[in-house]
Amino acid sequence: MFRVRSGQETTDASQAFYNCELMSENNEKKVHGVVAEYTSVDTLLSACRRVRDAGYQKTDAFTPFPVHGIDKALGIKPTVLPWIVLGAGLTGTATALVMQIWMNAIDYPYIISGKPFLSLPAFMPVAFELTVLFASFGAFFGMWALNGLPKFSNPVFTDPRFDRVTDDRFFLYIDSKDDQFDRGGVEKLLGDTETDYVQTVVDDDSSDKVPKPFFMMWGLVVGLSVIPLLVVLKMRVSHSSQPRFHVFYDMDFSPAKDAQQYSTLFRDGRAMRPDVPGTVARGEEQANLNYMTGIDMEALTAIDPSRAERLVRRLNPYFQGETEAAQELTDDEAAEADKKGSGEEPEDSSPVAGKQSASKAEASNADENAAAPEEAKPSVMETTPWLDSNPLVLNEKVLADGRKNFGIYCSVCHGMNGSGNGLVNVRAQKIISPDWIQPSSLHQETLYADKYPAGKLFSTISNGIRKMPGYAGQIKTRDRWAIVAYVRALQLSQNASIEQFKDMDDSERAKVLQEQADVKKALKEKADADAKAAKEAKEKADADAANAST
Amino acid sequence: MSEHNAPAPKSSDDPAFMLPASLAVLRLPLCVGGFILMSLGWYLASGVGQHGQNFGMSVYLTAAVYCMTIVLGCLFFVLIQHLVRAGWSIVVRRIAELAMVMVIPMGILFIPVIASLWTGEGTLYRWDNPEYGPEHGLPNNVWLEKLRWLNEGWFTVRTIGYFAVWTSLALFFFKNSIRQDQTGDKAITDKMQYWSGPAVMLFSLTTTFAAFDWVMSLAPMWFSTMFGVYLFAGSILGAHCLLAVASYVLQKQGAMRDEVTVEHYHDLGKLIFGFVFFWTYISFSQYLLIWYGNIPEETEWFYVRQIGNWGSVALVLIFFHWMLPFAGTMSRHVRRKPGLVCAWGAYLLIMHYVDVYFMIMPSVEQGNAGGVMGVVTSIMCVVGMAGLLSGLCLILAQQNKVVAVHDPRLGESIAFENI
Amino acid sequence: MSLAIPNGLDNTVEQPGERAPLVLGDTTYHDITEAVCQVAERKPSTSWVIGFLISFALLQWLGICILYLIYTGVGVWGNRSPVFWGWPIVNFVFWVGIGHAGTLISAILFLFRQEWRTSINRAAEAMTIFAVVCAGTFPGIHVGRAWLAFWLAPYPSLNLWMWPQFRSPLLWDVFAVSTYGTVSLLFWYMGMVPDLATFRDRSVNKWRRMAYGVLSLGWSGSSRHWMRYEKAYALLAAFAAPLVLSVHTIVSFDFAVSQVPGWHTTIFPPYFVAGAIFSGFAMVLTLMIPARKMLGLENLITIRHLDNMCKIILATGSIVGLAYGTEFFIAWYGQVQEEKFAFTNRAFGPYWWAYWTMVTCNVISPQLFWFKKLRTTPWMIVLVCIFVNIGMWFERFVIVVTSLSRDYLPSAWAYFSPTWVDWSMLIGSFGLFFTLFLLFCRLMPVINMAETKATLAKQYHVSNDGDH
Repeated sequence: MFRVRSGQETTDASQAFYNCELMSENNEKKVHGVVAEYTSVDTLLSACRRVRDAGYQKTDAFTPFPVHGIDKALGIKPTVLPWIVLGAGLTGTATALVMQIWMNAIDYPYIISGKPFLSLPAFMPVAFELTVLFASFGAFFGMWALNGLPKFSNPVFTDPRFDRVTDDRFFLYIDSKDDQFDRGGVEKLLGDTETDYVQTVVDDDSSDKVPKPFFMMWGLVVGLSVIPLLVVLKMRVSHSSQPRFHVFYDMDFSPAKDAQQYSTLFRDGRAMRPDVPGTVARGEEQANLNYMTGIDMEALTAIDPSRAERLVRRLNPYFQGETEAAQELTDDEAAEADKKGSGEEPEDSSPVAGKQSASKAEASNADENAAAPEEAKPSVMETTPWLDSNPLVLNEKVLADGRKNFGIYCSVCHGMNGSGNGLVNVRAQKIISPDWIQPSSLHQETLYADKYPAGKLFSTISNGIRKMPGYAGQIKTRDRWAIVAYVRALQLSQNASIEQFKDMDDSERAKVLQEQADVKKALKEKADADAKAAKEAKEKADADAANAST
Repeated sequence: MSEHNAPAPKSSDDPAFMLPASLAVLRLPLCVGGFILMSLGWYLASGVGQHGQNFGMSVYLTAAVYCMTIVLGCLFFVLIQHLVRAGWSIVVRRIAELAMVMVIPMGILFIPVIASLWTGEGTLYRWDNPEYGPEHGLPNNVWLEKLRWLNEGWFTVRTIGYFAVWTSLALFFFKNSIRQDQTGDKAITDKMQYWSGPAVMLFSLTTTFAAFDWVMSLAPMWFSTMFGVYLFAGSILGAHCLLAVASYVLQKQGAMRDEVTVEHYHDLGKLIFGFVFFWTYISFSQYLLIWYGNIPEETEWFYVRQIGNWGSVALVLIFFHWMLPFAGTMSRHVRRKPGLVCAWGAYLLIMHYVDVYFMIMPSVEQGNAGGVMGVVTSIMCVVGMAGLLSGLCLILAQQNKVVAVHDPRLGESIAFENI
Repeated sequence: MSLAIPNGLDNTVEQPGERAPLVLGDTTYHDITEAVCQVAERKPSTSWVIGFLISFALLQWLGICILYLIYTGVGVWGNRSPVFWGWPIVNFVFWVGIGHAGTLISAILFLFRQEWRTSINRAAEAMTIFAVVCAGTFPGIHVGRAWLAFWLAPYPSLNLWMWPQFRSPLLWDVFAVSTYGTVSLLFWYMGMVPDLATFRDRSVNKWRRMAYGVLSLGWSGSSRHWMRYEKAYALLAAFAAPLVLSVHTIVSFDFAVSQVPGWHTTIFPPYFVAGAIFSGFAMVLTLMIPARKMLGLENLITIRHLDNMCKIILATGSIVGLAYGTEFFIAWYGQVQEEKFAFTNRAFGPYWWAYWTMVTCNVISPQLFWFKKLRTTPWMIVLVCIFVNIGMWFERFVIVVTSLSRDYLPSAWAYFSPTWVDWSMLIGSFGLFFTLFLLFCRLMPVINMAETKATLAKQYHVSNDGDH
């Protein structure tokens, strides 16, 4: 019930009726206490002392502002609020520290600016803020709770004259629950102080009904606020074939181009910019062609001079002038592998080649590419004279470097052991990424040295294959060869055959063979046993089923 | 209106305003004993470890900076009370006034520090050694530029300048306050209030640069813009602690028993609590920024303070200069017990020494925090110097009154009540 | 009960040993109630309506700019490499700084028992909250995808599988500013409850009575309530005081934990706090001087109040000046090439005009307050305070833009130029601020009546004591 004042001013009909009803029982109305009005702090304080000295306990003063010394004059005890606040503050500190340590040091450890996961100095500011926040909540809500507020109905409010308590009047109140309370005596005691006005506080007789519009407004607000919630809920549980509705674009339609996309910005129509023709990485000016391509270039020139020429142009700085021609260069073998690997039919080796096929100088080349799918001629993979061996002198250092670079660049997808299950793959599987293609395992026979020459492996690393981008830009030539060496070592580590170990002496070889035979035998026995058990189980199940059906 | 009935101010000749005889007799023993202890500590410290002279001078500088910060804190206290026309603090202001005059003996006590520049090379300040730059691989132009600020002559001139400023300020406010004791002229208060504004500005400027010169330049290539504030935070904390301790001791010995009430201790307690927080705020901010930026030029300072025993001293500061007194002085009940406020004041005066020790000593002695003898001699030196200054202070107090008896706000101060 | 304090008394002169009155005129408790309540009860004046319409129009303009920004992207601002923290962050720091005076007046001056705070604290607190609202807008829209700003909150996310980074000062900022906003709001509201009860008891309109009745939570003025209330108020003040320091400290950490020359300097925390108080007080004065005139509150917000605030501006302005000097000195003393360059560049580089505007407005103009004549002439105060506000905006501009535009990588150096959206948002944020402030003036008690009455009671008590 709000402070809707009763009595004389109101003209509302129902209100008047309500008042009349109560008026009849006015005499029996419950007496809550007696209140006296004062006009100054001093008269109030002296009255307070008199009342206190007369032995009254359940007293209270009402003032427009806090009066200094009134707690002593009335005998009010100190409040427990500081303890509540202390507790709340400590809770805040603990919450902040636990939260930050859990989130940043335990559940989601993440290296940032070289700081330890558990960086106490960095956690101090938030710990301080939450301490203050919780303590302030403690003080604010604790104070209202201890005061028993909000409380919209209070018998002292019944008297319209009491409205001046928030203006310039001071009131002293003695509650009827006081042990010594006796209405006449209290009125006399208060009357003897410097007051003009003593009044009995009785039950509020105004309506305790909350006005109807209030409920209507409330209902309307609640009703309206439920609607968005329902919509969200519905969307959460139902499926839709419609494209996602974008309130915000969320950068889903980025004007930036993806790799291999078409762009009108450049003359060649490519969004991705190729290296400037003739780009040679620093420190590799002296490297020879075979070393840089992984192909025996002399042999290639004999078989396919135009392709050889293109490859050389791409590497040789002296051809810089002929940009257009150089830009034509595509990775034939990569395109081929792409075609085979993904099972899709590329329109051409690349859209660029198609677009530029009118270029006279390269007409024959484009034809060759365009014709490739139809004629089913031997693939580039087969016809290219790949280098069979690693041009580097293999030693421990080379392998260590290979391992390091494999760890940095390759392992995120292919996994540390090359099985094709790196962290990125694990994460992609976890979030069920729709357009993720699992990286190849490096332990397939087709990738072993006899089927997949070192030069080809080098070329794949350099130019990429299927979804895998080329790493020529990131990894130095020498290190790419080191990776090749390391990949070979990895492959040997998983599925080596005994024939590969040429310098093993005979007794050792025999021992290994024996062990191998033992293991094979054991595996076969186990497999047989499993098969037998499965067979029996199946027969038993069939029999059961047959029995059940009859 | 209020139930608190303050006693009427006593006449200005009342014995309650005089230095109690039990304290007055201590003045000469304190001066002489303090001087001997200080010299002994300094002498013994010069024989400690492989640094010899260097260590001795650093111990002496630590003691001098410690006393200096408290004296300056008292000077600032007086200035700020005038600036804000404070009423509550009149009864304890004279103690701060007596202490701030000690800036004059401090000037004499600083002579050895200056002398070390002229007599030796790098005895105390490493930049004084011309080889420092080349030895540490500093580019020549950088080092020469640095020497334009850090050189014997200019350093001496600046130090003399600082003391000139502080001495004039201290004497101006002290003499006027004493004159008011005799004449009771209210216009003197107006005059002091009028000059307190410019005085505070001069004070801040000089203290900032004194902190840079005396303490920060011990690590010649290190710099922190906040260093002046850092030293000041300890200094103002020390001053309030000194006031609490001195008032308590004076009251125990019979002076100003009715004048300084529990309300004043309550206020001093609040301010001590506040300045413990302020010190923490400043030192933590300085640490956090340097730790986070992680730039070698800056981390050097904290690096030497984290290795060996200095790491433990750093922890002592965290736990016993911040957490313990912070928790200890938080409660109103503690602040309203004069004995406890005095105890916390005395405790924090000790911790303030640890703070100053931590600022200065690692620059000369790395790793073992000076060792047992180092610590013992440092304590001897600082206790001696503090004793000497207290003795001088008592001499001054005996010639004057321990309360500003004719301050127009004395009545207000005596009647003062916390809400 | 009237007090024998003559009208027009110069209460800026205080005889030592006596305290000059803070409430002037033959004021009674009831007069205070009348003076404050009439502001909200009478019909709005023409100047109020005009002011409101202008502010509201500017606010609409801000809203349109924000929509445009969200629709188009942050490219509409002048933020380009290398100045990615352009005007939005300048405006953020500027407004947060403005927001410091309110809680400072309420909390720190309360703790230091500076009674003159009573008649200005309410409006200053309201200003704090409105300034924090303005401040919060900028980082909110600066994150780019403003609708995802809730990612800053540490909630267990099913989409992200990760937590916010608590080692980043930007996240500290989120906590600091939101804590500050919340606590200021609690403090402001709590202080207002007894006055809202006065509004309630004076309302003749039933709906008005009900609205203020709900807002005042059934406050009755009981002494027991007052006692707990005062305790809670003192406790909140004790928390709010270090909170004020912490907020701008943490804002300064945004800059100072980095290694950008000119940003990474240890004086930043206290220097930012001093600057914030400085600008906050200047803004309070800029608003209160016209307001006291328009609302007829000259007897409650007296010349002495203005005089005291001017002194605080002088003090903090000098601290800021000292910090500028210290920075410059240490940049030279430290002999780090990049730092030296950063500071030389500030003063004599392409942004020299911003630097010297800042120095003139922040260091030189408040020095005028050494003259009492200036501290007691309202229109002159307003003039100086406007300069101070301009200067403080430029200070943030100098810090953000000069350092970023001349970073470690000379090839990336560029000159920053704002776009029309930058300008509009700065001006629009003033629209937001003034709209809220003008609404507050109409709807809420602009002066803390209860506390002012308590001050009056004390004044009355003192003058009574003088009699016998």
